Parts: sequence; C-alpha cells; structure tokens
Amino acid sequence: MGLLDKAIAWGEKKSPWIIHFNAGACNGCDIEVVDALTPQYDLERLGILQQGSPKHADVLVCTGAVTLQTRDRLKQIYDQMSTPKFVVAVGTCACTGGIFDSCYCVTGGIDTVVPVDAYIPGCAVRPEAIIDAVGKLLATLDQKEAKGK
Amino acid sequence: MNTEETILALNKRFPALEATSARPLRIFTAFAAPEEFEKTLQYAFSKLDYHKGKHIVGTDEGENIGLSYILSNDENVLLVLRERVPKSAPHVRSMGELFPSLMLHEREMVDLFGVQVSGLPEGPNYPLPDGWPEGEYPLRKEWNPAYFNKQTMTYEPPKEEDAK
Amino acid sequence: MSDRNQNERNNKVVVPIGPQHPSLKEPGSFKITLDGEKVERAVVEIGYNHRGIEKACESRNYIQALYIIERVCGICSHAHTLCFCQAFEELAGLEVPRRAHYIRGIVGELERLHSHLLWLGVAAHEIGFDTLFMYTWRDRELVLDLLARIGGNRVNYGVNTYGGVRRDLEPELMQDILHVCDLLEEKLKYYADLALTETTLIARLKGIGVLTPDDVRKYSAVGPVARAAGIEGDVRVAEPYGVFKEIAVNVITDDHCDVYGRTLVRVKEMLEAIRLIRIMVAQIPEGPISVRAPRKLPVGEVLSRVEAPRGEDIHYIRSTGTDMPDRVRVRAPTEANWHGMSHMLEGFQLADVPIIIAAIDPCYSCTDRAIHLIGDGINQLTDWAQIRALSIEQYKSRGIDPGSIKVREF
Repeated sequence: MGLLDKAIAWGEKKSPWIIHFNAGACNGCDIEVVDALTPQYDLERLGILQQGSPKHADVLVCTGAVTLQTRDRLKQIYDQMSTPKFVVAVGTCACTGGIFDSCYCVTGGIDTVVPVDAYIPGCAVRPEAIIDAVGKLLATLDQKEAKGK
Repeated sequence: MNTEETILALNKRFPALEATSARPLRIFTAFAAPEEFEKTLQYAFSKLDYHKGKHIVGTDEGENIGLSYILSNDENVLLVLRERVPKSAPHVRSMGELFPSLMLHEREMVDLFGVQVSGLPEGPNYPLPDGWPEGEYPLRKEWNPAYFNKQTMTYEPPKEEDAK
Repeated sequence: MSDRNQNERNNKVVVPIGPQHPSLKEPGSFKITLDGEKVERAVVEIGYNHRGIEKACESRNYIQALYIIERVCGICSHAHTLCFCQAFEELAGLEVPRRAHYIRGIVGELERLHSHLLWLGVAAHEIGFDTLFMYTWRDRELVLDLLARIGGNRVNYGVNTYGGVRRDLEPELMQDILHVCDLLEEKLKYYADLALTETTLIARLKGIGVLTPDDVRKYSAVGPVARAAGIEGDVRVAEPYGVFKEIAVNVITDDHCDVYGRTLVRVKEMLEAIRLIRIMVAQIPEGPISVRAPRKLPVGEVLSRVEAPRGEDIHYIRSTGTDMPDRVRVRAPTEANWHGMSHMLEGFQLADVPIIIAAIDPCYSCTDRAIHLIGDGINQLTDWAQIRALSIEQYKSRGIDPGSIKVREF
C-alpha cells in the first residue's frame, strides 16, 4: 500500500464522512440514523460527520427497500462518490427488501443496485446497532490498512 | 346538515342512489353511471355544502372499475358517492374544478387502474415512476405482480472493478 | 390552471443543461419557477415511496396486512395501525375493552409528542437553529424510551392488535410515564415561551407560507396546518374514537395562518398531549386488554379515521367475507396537505422554501429531494442542502440569525 493510500485509509478510519440516502423507506430507520447523530448517541465524537454531497462522503448510509423511482438516483449517488467508498444498508428493508419484498415497485434490498459492505438488520434499527456497525466498518478499514503494510 | 338530513335530501332528489347509513357520520350510496354521478356530486357540493374532498377509492368491480369519491361537510359527515365505468371504456371526467384536492387521487386512478380522466391539467403522473410500461395497471385484480416483477426488477449492479 | 401551464410553456422552457444523466431528469420533487428571488410557481411531485402497499395487502391476510400498514410511515405507525384496527373492529362488530382504549390513547399521545418534537427539531434545523434541533431530539429520547418499554421497540411499537392491545401497562411504568411528563412539561413550556417571545424566531417564521381559511377549505388541508388558520378540525372531537369518547380534547388553534402559527399550534399541542396523558393514566380502568378477534371479516366495507400527529388519517377496507382484505385504501394526512403546497410556496422567496415545506411536516425523507429551479438565466438542479444553506445565509445578511439564539441549559 503506497503512502497516499495509507493516508487515505488513515483519514477514513479516523473520520469517515457519511451521506444518508432514503431509497424508499417508511422513515423509521431514517429517524434512527439521524438519532445516532444527536446528543444521546452522538456519532460525531467518533469523527463521523454527515455530508450533503456525495462527492465529499466516504460512506453511503442507505435506508429503505429500493423502489423503481429511486434506484437510478441511488446508483447515481454511488457513482458520484470517490473511491474508496463503502455502503451500509440500514434496516431489514435495505438488507433484503424486508416486508415489502415482492411488492411491485420494489426492486429489493440495496444490494440489488449497488454493492453493500455492511448489513444492519432491524425494524427499525436501533442507534446502538448503527454505532456497532460503524465500529465494525472502521475495524475493517484497520484490517485493510494492516494488510496494505 | 347532519347524516339523517343528508340521506333524506339525497334519496328525495336521487332515489336510485339508495343512500344508507349503518352508523352516524357515514353515508354509502350505490354505484351510478358517470352522468348521474356528476349531477349528484354537483348537488352535494352546491346544495348540501359537501365542500371537502377527502379521498377517492378505486375498486375493481370485475368488468367495471368503480370510483368512490369520499366527501365531507362542516359537520364531519363522510359521504361516499360512486361512479362505475366499464374496463373496456373507462372514461370519466375530472371533478377537479369542485375538488382541487382530489386531482392527485384522480391521477392515481389513471396510473393504478387505467381510468382515463379527462380534464386533468397537464402534470406528472402519480404515483408510478416514469417509464412504467403502458397497459400495466397494478390495482386491477387480474394484474399479477409476480409476473411483472420478474420482467422489470432485474437490475445490473455495477461490477466490482467499476465500483472500486 | 391551464393558463398557468400555458405561461410556463411560453416563457420558461425547461432546457436540460450540463452533463446529462438520463435518470436525473426528474428525481421527483420540486420544480420551482423563479421571478428574481420570488417563487412564481412551484410544482410539487411526489411518489418516491410508492411501494405498492395496497396491492400487497390484497394478497395477505389481515394479520399480515397489519404489519404492512404499520410501516406506511415510521413516525406515526401507531396512528395507522389504530385506524386499521378500528376499521376491522367496526366491520367485525367487536367491542374493545375500555382499558385497551386507554392504552391506545396513551401510546397515541406519546406518539404525538415524539412526532411534534421531531418536527420542532427538523424545523429548527431548516432555519439554522441547530441548538434547538439537538435539544428537542434529546428530549425525544425520553419519549422513545417509554415507547420502547411499552411496546418493545422505539419505532414501530406494535401495540395495537385486532380487538385491543398486545401489551399492558404496569403501575411502575405508569409512574415513569408521569415522571417523563413532568420533565417534558418544563422544557415544553420553555419552548413555548421561546416561540412566543424570541424576536429572531418570530421574524424568521412570521408571514410566510400563508394558507388562509379559504385556502384550507379549497385545498382540504388537515391537522396543524388547518388549525393554524383558525379552523377547529380534529378527529378526536369531530368523531370521537376510543378513549376520546370519555375524555374531551382541547383543540389548539391559532390565527396566524402561516409557518409561525403552525409552530405555535404544535408546541401547544404537545402541552395538551401531556395533559391528556396525565388524565388517562389517572383514570385508566382495570380489565382485559383485548377481546378475541375473528380471522375472517363479514362481507362489507368500512371507513375509519383517527387524528394522527399530522392530521386526519383515513382508512378504507372492503371485505368479501374471507380472511384477506379485498381492498385496502389509506389516505395519510400528508397527502391532504400536499395539495396546498404549491399555493403556499408561491409569492414567497426562495430562501423561505425549506421552512415552508418543513412546516407542513412531511415525511422526513423529503430532505433528500432535489429542487429544480427555473428562471431568467437559471435552469439548474440543486439539492435541499444547498437551498437550506442559501436560505440561512440570506436571512443572516438581513440580521436574522436563529443560530445565535441562546438556549437555556436544562
């Protein structure tokens, strides 16, 4: 792993910037994602900041079963992110389509459109589970860095 | 005008309507042809003050499609007036001039049941996405999502090389 | 209506510019035609979250359908299941026990609290008052913890079932509910005072997004949006259901007809919710929490409605005598309020767009939606975050900066 790659990996591990996208959810998981950023759970102390633009984000936090209306936009947001990038599917619907699987207009989970790195099941996902998943993701980045050495 | 008064007025003016009420604040009526329906709606709006357009329920009635308009007045009575058109020629007119809030639901009838509503202003369809194939009306009973999903839901996710 | 369409076609032609993504054509959101800084016309497009719920219910039995109905909206899931259960119970001729009505009422009012607190935080965030956003969402945690103890989950609490409720309230839990009410009341009174006296807030919210009583009538708006125009519409009073047949609700109205009015209505409704919860906890009768429900419904159709936090929620069920609904139809309150949205935006400034939209309390996922701006020399797609940032900047330059309001420590 070259010096630049190491720097990127370190920057990511220390302070991943996330973008939150609702692919067709009922908002249950969305409000828990936002909750994870508020004082009680406070993801910000882990260096995680929410970004408005895909271009500045490292991690795409996605909720909801993907609907026909949003799947192109999801792919587009993913494409706009610069590498390395990671996708976290938050909620049962995002993992597999959940209760809406087999509904017309629902493609399925997030991984029917973009590759997913972490799946967090739950309906709705508890903020603790989100923090746990983020922690595991950071640990994976650590491993990648270690491998690179 | 409360529930009983509304029923009396409607049945007197439009006996074929058979307005009934199983409980307070609910009035259901029989399905009618579009012309009769429009007259009743106009009457309910202007003479009985049912000025609130609450909702439209589209139903598959076998060979026909039913549109049930749910109206309300200042006394909170829910009045259901209904029209029925054949699936082979599902033409109705928009009631948007009287009930602008119901135009969104009329668009739903267009998308989900294949009803042709004339008089709707130009605008995006709702709620189905752009590119939804013609002739596929999800809420018709004969429409099968399993068959449809197989054809449209497959999607090429980006390959690993492109992604990373 | 058709005149305006003509106008748009003649003077402001939408020409795509820049790098083209075919899928970016209309993510489905707001197409705003500008005249300088003023919104001349706004076209609102929705349909993002259309998942095909109504069709799904037709191939599921009533028990399964209830789970889907709960997830129509994650913020007011109890209101939706309550409405649906009521519809089922009416058609089945079930008499729900009084204790169940009270439990449903308590959970319903707790839901109203968490929903309005969520709204208050989101609205504060839209105008750059992030301190209040953090405070209200922290206050919400108290309510969510209670809901988790009652139903087992912070969101989608699954308390309702056909014939009553699934969980009972122990005396200790009821004491804790009262304790949380006391804590929250102190904070809510402070927020109410802030809304009534803080000049920066008032300057920021007053006079925008106006919907007069005539507009409310024309567009059939419901909930706090209608009540902020002085209209006393509340299903708990118009058609009392459940516990509200025994307990009278004070309907909160306001005469401002604008975003400020909607803020006041929601804050006061939270205080009213606390008052109602206290009465319900004090008066809750002993007894069973549910009656046995049949699997099949008799032939017939039914309309049911409840007062969800956002307004009147209407459900329709048609049964052909089996254990699967023949037709399910849901009209969530936000659907009624969208109609007046274009009207509310027109004539106001671009900088006011975020808070006007937020003030009808649409589903939270709205914040992702793109905004398409058209005007002299402008034809661009922008996103919510940019409009929000722009609006905060613009107001700051006029000396109105909610971000600088000092909030007391609790």
